[in-house]
Amino acid sequence: MKRAVSATAGRLWPNATALVLAAGFVFPVYWMFSTAFKPTRDIITDEPVWFPFHGTAEHFATAVRAPHFWTLAGNSVLVTVLAVGLSLVIALCAAFALTRMRFRGRRGILLTFMIAQMAPWEVMVISIYMIVRDADLLNSLAPLTCFYMLMVLPFTLLTLRGYVAAVPRELEESAMVDGCSRRQAFLKVVFPLLAPGLMATSLFGFITAWNEFPLVLVLNKEPAMGTLPLWLSQFQSQFGDDWGATMAAASIFAVPILILFLFLQRKAVGGLTSGAVKG
Amino acid sequence: MKRGLMAATAAAGMLVSVAACGSGDGGTAGADGFKGQKLTVWVMSGSNPAQWTKQVSEQFEKKTGATVEFKVQQWNGIQQKLSTALSEDSPPDVVEIGNTQTAAYAEAGALADLGDLKKEIGADWNDAFNKASLVDGKQYALPWYAGNRVVMYNKKIWRQAGLKGTPTTRTELFKAFDTIKKKTDAEPLYLPGQNWYFFDGLTIGTGADLVKKQGGKWVSNLGDPKVAKAMDIYRQYQAFSTAPKNKDEATPQQAEVFAKGRTGAVIAMGYEAATAVKADPGIKKDIGFFTIPGETADKPEGVFLGGSNFAVAGMGKKQELAKEFLKVALSKQNDGQMVKESGWTPKSADLAGAARQNPAAAAAAPAAEKSGGTTPLIPQWAAVENVPNPIKSYMTAVLGGKSPADAARDIAPEINARLAKQ
Amino acid sequence: MAAQLDDAVGKAAPRTGKGGGPPGRRTPRPPEHGAVRPPAGRTPRSAAPGSSARRTPYLLLLPALLATAVLLGWPMVRNLLLSFQNLNMKELIQHLTDWRGTGNYQEILGSEQFWRVTLRTLVFTAVNVVLIMVLGVLIGLLLARLGKKMRLTLSLALVLAWAMPVIAATTVFQWLFDSRYGVVNWLLDQAGWHAMAHYDWVGTQLSTFSVITVLIVWQSLPFVALNLYAATTTIPRELYEAARMDGAGTWQVFTSVTFPFLKPFFLATTFLEIIWVFKAFPQIFAINEGGPDRLTETLPIYAFTEGVGNLHFGMGAAISLLTIVVLLAMTAHYLRLTLRQERHEENEL
Repeated sequence: MKRAVSATAGRLWPNATALVLAAGFVFPVYWMFSTAFKPTRDIITDEPVWFPFHGTAEHFATAVRAPHFWTLAGNSVLVTVLAVGLSLVIALCAAFALTRMRFRGRRGILLTFMIAQMAPWEVMVISIYMIVRDADLLNSLAPLTCFYMLMVLPFTLLTLRGYVAAVPRELEESAMVDGCSRRQAFLKVVFPLLAPGLMATSLFGFITAWNEFPLVLVLNKEPAMGTLPLWLSQFQSQFGDDWGATMAAASIFAVPILILFLFLQRKAVGGLTSGAVKG
Repeated sequence: MKRGLMAATAAAGMLVSVAACGSGDGGTAGADGFKGQKLTVWVMSGSNPAQWTKQVSEQFEKKTGATVEFKVQQWNGIQQKLSTALSEDSPPDVVEIGNTQTAAYAEAGALADLGDLKKEIGADWNDAFNKASLVDGKQYALPWYAGNRVVMYNKKIWRQAGLKGTPTTRTELFKAFDTIKKKTDAEPLYLPGQNWYFFDGLTIGTGADLVKKQGGKWVSNLGDPKVAKAMDIYRQYQAFSTAPKNKDEATPQQAEVFAKGRTGAVIAMGYEAATAVKADPGIKKDIGFFTIPGETADKPEGVFLGGSNFAVAGMGKKQELAKEFLKVALSKQNDGQMVKESGWTPKSADLAGAARQNPAAAAAAPAAEKSGGTTPLIPQWAAVENVPNPIKSYMTAVLGGKSPADAARDIAPEINARLAKQ
Repeated sequence: MAAQLDDAVGKAAPRTGKGGGPPGRRTPRPPEHGAVRPPAGRTPRSAAPGSSARRTPYLLLLPALLATAVLLGWPMVRNLLLSFQNLNMKELIQHLTDWRGTGNYQEILGSEQFWRVTLRTLVFTAVNVVLIMVLGVLIGLLLARLGKKMRLTLSLALVLAWAMPVIAATTVFQWLFDSRYGVVNWLLDQAGWHAMAHYDWVGTQLSTFSVITVLIVWQSLPFVALNLYAATTTIPRELYEAARMDGAGTWQVFTSVTFPFLKPFFLATTFLEIIWVFKAFPQIFAINEGGPDRLTETLPIYAFTEGVGNLHFGMGAAISLLTIVVLLAMTAHYLRLTLRQERHEENEL
């Protein structure tokens, strides 16, 4: 009896804490979405309007009707997907080499990537601009994709390194005993186990590339060659911040990432063969 | 990046000048030579009103056979964008540059000399408007529009307070504010501590210079007693408001605060009325304007003429065509359209008629004419206004109780550092 | 999420340095490694020369190294060159190169402002990273303790916070902490703390930093918490049971089992968090642009304001390079540890 009570009490405080924390973490996200639906007069109020009872879609209309919205959205998606995809492939190859193989310069190369993680991209904008300008590659999505890919590469590589290292060699070896070549062993056995690692790094990469502003501002000035962050910045202008439109735009801006996460997580769950791992 | 430039210099066109515009005279040999070309013009978001844009495009096309493409730019990051764009092989042909930035770009060698063009089309423009486009006496841009602040007031609240008519001196204005405070529960004035362009106007009113030359270099002159006097006037205004002392008029948008209907007045640009109406259409009938009164009834308070100029990119390949565009865009008719449509201040005396059709412009005109001024027109000034703006810090410090002399002394190193760099 | 995390498991934790590996996970290696392998497989370590085998790692690394050299190395070199130039608007527009020698560096290193900002950045980073790691670990442990449903709920909330675009999050926080219309002040006022009714959060250095810290910690915690949770699921139950049988209390279990097991995870995550917090830009810039009076400027903001914002690119380049030096100093310890670990790993191959 006593044990049951303390067991319940034992479950109570973690659950209560968890609820409070969940509410705390979600609140700003909720606030963004709810403000997006509020009419302007409900946004600047002395008493907070907790729920958009007089909900309106006008801010979303404003946000979407901005010039070139759909083109910019397409550009953002294209550039981000390519950048993240490329970085995953490149990082995975490199991670594999760095964990499974022995060769000269291995530590030096690892150090290089760790330092690359520290690159001060915001201030390097001008150097990059001059390089791209002089190579006559302005207003193109290609340089943008390449640089975004590299902004994400070090983190992806370092993280995947951990995931690859965590897969026991025995799995590869037993696959090879069964007749696979090294490459096949990798693809059939190791790769599926990296799913969660790939998910985490691709989500991070997506967020980074999706949000980037300083570089695209100077590289792609042609309105139709820009990306969504440029679109998002227009709602805070010298006419003052249109909070409703800003939040609506921010909500639209955030949705793809959230969708991506939900999609990825389901895929990752499917691809796991827990038995082989836990051994 | 909230700037108060928006001076609409609208030349009340709709007058005779249509004739001057349309004909392809002026010996532009090779009007056929322009056929099929495309001119790129960068304008800032909100600068070019719809009807004006339509008119200018049509007239330009008719005159030269070339087309014009207006590319609207956002304020965020515009400095970086513009600087890099002007360094490219094919920069935009014509660009809008704010008053406070023009000298800096001219100094950097980015803009073409437009002296001849000014003589041709701008002989009668108000000098105050043109000053910002001059560097060392040379004309590097042409003024497009400029405007200045007025008092935007809530007629309903003023009625409630029993006030009749509008004040013509500062003393009367403060008395009106007092009355509103006593007789209604509205806030007489919403004035945050960092409405820097309003403060700049006050320094123009007291005849103060914000910078001075010392040993061949420009340094801060905020310690000047005239500046302190202007700040004191600001302080008196600010005392009527509970707005935060360390925010500017755009955070939050003062027009939106005004739109709630519990504010007696704001010091605003004419276009802010539209912002208020957007937030609450019901406020429209209660909006009124009057000139910011000075110490005496015959001289309105000093105002900062904020505005934008059109400049031609020095490295552009279509400079002749660009000049043709300017002749069209800055014609009397189109300048007048700017006044009528956006409420900008008339650029020359003959446009006064157009101003009368727009209450904000009508309120702004007398001040522009008699007490208009600008920020220091030296290339180094642009850097001072970069975020974070040190003058705003000075204002907050004084409003927070620091003596103007101390506050000026504290902020001088920052300002001097910015003025020192080219 | 939970299921996938369960299996993601120690994948988050690099395999290195597990104190006393669990019995089932690693089969003890026979001394002659090569003998176990069937002739059909390829053994990189075997005597078989196969020049292709020797080349493979370099081939695999080539794309990454090439990309880094071109897309990062080259701009960095350019940046280095710029730092010795006087590059302002005029030089940029007219494509001029105006060498200044070490003038930029002298100016910065001689300015009191730079050293003050550096110190401020170090303190700021330290405070934030400590908060993130401590709270993150606690929440991670909480996740381990919860039942499946609650865990999923909390995980979802965490991910929403993490995935929210930084610009949007910063804007919302500005709004929440607004002095007149913000929710935070309203709540504080309702709770009885009336002095806070119109409190100006960006009025002083400390309060501005508080808002920024809440924002950064809020958005960084999920990464740490979720990864920690995943890592804890790799710890075999046997160790816990053994510890409890020896009479260990909760804290001792943590220090004797959890912490040592997860040390590599802690190191890796702390390394990343130090870098991310140090380089944080939009959060600080948007809240008050480094104000009031430039008192919340950290090195990245300082570099931007001096450099890009004022269009003094040469100066900005110099500051950015100094920034990397500072960051290297901060992470030197971890870099050294990792490299030492690498040597172990390599020898074990």
